[in-house]
Amino acid sequence: MSELTQTPALSQPLRAESAAYGFHPPSQAELMAELGLKSRPGWTSRLPSGLAAFVTNGKGMVGVIILLALILTALFAPLLTSYDPNRRAGKPHVQPGYEHVMGTTRMGKDVFTQLVYGGRVSLAVGMGAGLAAAMIGLALGISAGYFGGRTDDVITFFVNVVLVLPGLPLIIVIATMVETAGPMVIGLVLALTGWGWAARTIRTQTLALRAREFVLAAELMGEKKWRIILIEIFPNMLSFVMGGLVLGTIAAILAEAALEFIGLGDPNAVTWGTMLYWGQKNLALQSGAWWEIWPPCIAIMLTGAALVLINFAVDEITNPQLKASRKIGRIRRFLSRRGRSADVF
Amino acid sequence: MIFLARRIAFYIGAFFLAVTFNFFIPRLMPGDPSARIIASFQGRLNESQVEAIRKSYGLTGSLWEQYITYVGSILRLDFGISTVQFPEPTASLLFYGATWTLVLVGLAIFFAFIIGSFMGIHAAWHRGGFFDSFFTPINVMLNAFTPAIVALLLFYAFSLQLQWFPLGRAHSTSISPALSFEFIGNVLYHATLPVLSIFLVSFGGWHLGMRNVMINLLNEDFVILAKAKGLSDRRVRYRYVARNAILPQITALALSIGFLLGGALVTEQVFNYPGLGKFTFTAIGSRDYSFIQGQLLLLTASVLVANLLSDIANVILDPRLRT
Amino acid sequence: MSSDRVLLEVRNLTVDYVGDNSIARAVNGIDFDIREGEAFGLAGESGCGKSTVAFALARLTRLPGLVSGGSVRFQGEEVLSFEKARLKAYRWREVSFVFQSAMNALNPVIPVSEQIMDVIETHNPELGEKGARARAVEMFELVGIPPQRLDDFPHQFSGGMRQRICIAIALALNPRLIIMDEPTTALDVVVQRDIIEQIVELKSRLGFSVLFITHDLGLMIEFCDRIGVMYSGELVEVAPASSILTNPQHPYTRALGSSFPPLSGPRQRLEGIAGSPPDLRALPQGCRFSPRCPHAMALCAQTAPELRFYPEHESEAACHLLN
Repeated sequence: MSELTQTPALSQPLRAESAAYGFHPPSQAELMAELGLKSRPGWTSRLPSGLAAFVTNGKGMVGVIILLALILTALFAPLLTSYDPNRRAGKPHVQPGYEHVMGTTRMGKDVFTQLVYGGRVSLAVGMGAGLAAAMIGLALGISAGYFGGRTDDVITFFVNVVLVLPGLPLIIVIATMVETAGPMVIGLVLALTGWGWAARTIRTQTLALRAREFVLAAELMGEKKWRIILIEIFPNMLSFVMGGLVLGTIAAILAEAALEFIGLGDPNAVTWGTMLYWGQKNLALQSGAWWEIWPPCIAIMLTGAALVLINFAVDEITNPQLKASRKIGRIRRFLSRRGRSADVF
Repeated sequence: MIFLARRIAFYIGAFFLAVTFNFFIPRLMPGDPSARIIASFQGRLNESQVEAIRKSYGLTGSLWEQYITYVGSILRLDFGISTVQFPEPTASLLFYGATWTLVLVGLAIFFAFIIGSFMGIHAAWHRGGFFDSFFTPINVMLNAFTPAIVALLLFYAFSLQLQWFPLGRAHSTSISPALSFEFIGNVLYHATLPVLSIFLVSFGGWHLGMRNVMINLLNEDFVILAKAKGLSDRRVRYRYVARNAILPQITALALSIGFLLGGALVTEQVFNYPGLGKFTFTAIGSRDYSFIQGQLLLLTASVLVANLLSDIANVILDPRLRT
Repeated sequence: MSSDRVLLEVRNLTVDYVGDNSIARAVNGIDFDIREGEAFGLAGESGCGKSTVAFALARLTRLPGLVSGGSVRFQGEEVLSFEKARLKAYRWREVSFVFQSAMNALNPVIPVSEQIMDVIETHNPELGEKGARARAVEMFELVGIPPQRLDDFPHQFSGGMRQRICIAIALALNPRLIIMDEPTTALDVVVQRDIIEQIVELKSRLGFSVLFITHDLGLMIEFCDRIGVMYSGELVEVAPASSILTNPQHPYTRALGSSFPPLSGPRQRLEGIAGSPPDLRALPQGCRFSPRCPHAMALCAQTAPELRFYPEHESEAACHLLN
């Protein structure tokens, strides 16, 4: 007991070394420096905190930059190339060179031109379908979770059906029936079949939110239902909508490419998928014309990678557990430098 | 048991929805399949011949009668006659293709699920470490490279350039199917690259799923308690964390079968592998509707059966579902 | 009941939460002792850091928490330096833990028998499975749960029973100290009473020490020998339980006491405490309570007071008013 009466001033540096008192804690500022934390950059102070966390997330920003680069090349396609994507631009299967940056196809069309123009359609269809699917998922998920009862039963039944029905085979049936499935049709079908996951996640989240005080309070005060949904619930769903949007876009871009690759698309449309289709059909690989196949492959892979990175960032920001795990290495080093056991979890 | 009964009722409902969808789609489109066949005879058919063709497509009688006939034939596993391989019944083609697809998808899922889940367990346990920060994003990115591309890459590198693997087929024509080591070895040899490409685009999903569920579980009280009890790391990791994390993974596995079957479709096309996808590809080219519809029903049925199996597994593994 | 021998010595304990761009100092250099056989209570508003202290003592600080300084000595040994083998013995043989929510403290998918036997088998391998089971039965009887329910799953028990099982698990190795983090908050009042009475009875029989955390001041005063009052990560007063209400030294303790209805005597108006605790990421320079303190002086805003012993009141307090 008497020990406590003599508790010395905490800041004496001697105390740090003295075995009797363990290790001396650094100040908050010192600790931040040691763990390599930077205080929030000033220019982000006007942004909402979620957005600020996103723009300072390395993975997320790499994803955004790759995606922006792809979108911009697609948008400014006419400035980047003087050829017409649908017309013959040179001899068949010219190797990549000065005239044709990425060579020509068997039909003599310029591969680079097809790539940048094809990106317009592929990205637009993918993002459009992803956005539409996320919106359908949002609407149905919130309705099911918020209204509950019969509404929930009916919606949940359809969500489960959409989740259980195999997507690609279903689309194949529809696409064969409508004769030539242009990019628009494919996008529409993908949107109508791709909302299952988003709806399911958002329903679960809405159910959790429904029971929270602020929603109950709004209900007691007699707020209109649509206002509660819009003002109290929707803002909390943004990160899930974002996740659904990103995942939906990945799925749509991949599915579009796959459908066109197996010949279900309109072979005259210029998209990354049809480029693959023609490359495969013309036996480009077998005849050594690798440049007809790899550019659309790489474009699709880059898009996929960029979206995955963005999704990683969204996950890291919205899931506190994932966020915490990013710092584990620095925390371990902090402890082992002080001879403390670094058994953290 | 109530849980399983409800699930089975749902699967039957979902299957009939797919059957109904299959029934109405051709009837809603301008020009049903029979019209095309009839047109291809350029008017050389008389009234009764046209009627016979329409009848063979089940297009006579009232809509309700047609529907009953259609459902009846589906339940008898009668999917009609293939127009490509006339007069082979579609059902036998479907089941022949499905066998090979099952080989591919089965092997790929098995390896992807096991390897991916263990990678996820490892990444979660050492989260923030080298393996986690490096391989988690890479594996997930692989997941976002469509099967078509991965298959093309593998085909180009190992079949065309290095010529380590065959250019097509499920087994060499010189060996006749038998339950011998030679035949099975030959089948596995032909299946290696297709299986590898489906594996490569799917194991990242299991890795990420398992990792994220595990990391969330690490914060649960019962895991902290297990840790506090001084149990071995191994026991905490497998008996307390992974044991719980596997439950949502099994549900996700069943739901992913549809996606993987779609992936197999494309992969078979690249490797010229005689599975369902290869036949579907041919069927699309020649607008063989009975086959295209049949593959949807067959795949839907497989997904539903997979879901039922996963429900049963969940009931076995999760005592909360048993009451 | 409690002796004067110190079991656990906490000095200058500092725990931080590592954020993205900031550090929140949840516990700021606190000192206290827990004596052998003593029930020591930690009181304070939610968010004051009392649970954080509990987890740090058991070496269970979770990410993003970090014990950034100080010392925790168990019978003279430095707990924060324990390596794997020593830590394993410390966990549960010497210190065990009862969590707030018995709902989540048990692994839902394995039987409770396994969850109590695994800790016995891990620490007393010589007992074998039979011996561990016998001990588990003994513990169940001790807390009043029929031993034939040993192999049931957690969801088959009521909330109160689950908390008893957690207490049985906590007692399984006869630990020296049991940390109870709001052990009865999630239960209804009648069950709460039962369980507390049972803990009191077991404590007097088995002679362990308890670190008891709750926001129910009445319960705490009844159960504990001494009580530490925390505010915003610091101990503002440590006093015998009997004098917390009757003779509070620190204005915060007084405020806490007056927001609590007396069990006997005339009803008084309850006084709340105006304002809210400071932001842990940017703490005020002086006394943390000064912005809300009705008696704050100029000095309070500049220098933080230290915890000092005032023999005339038998209590320690950190307040300039007392000097």
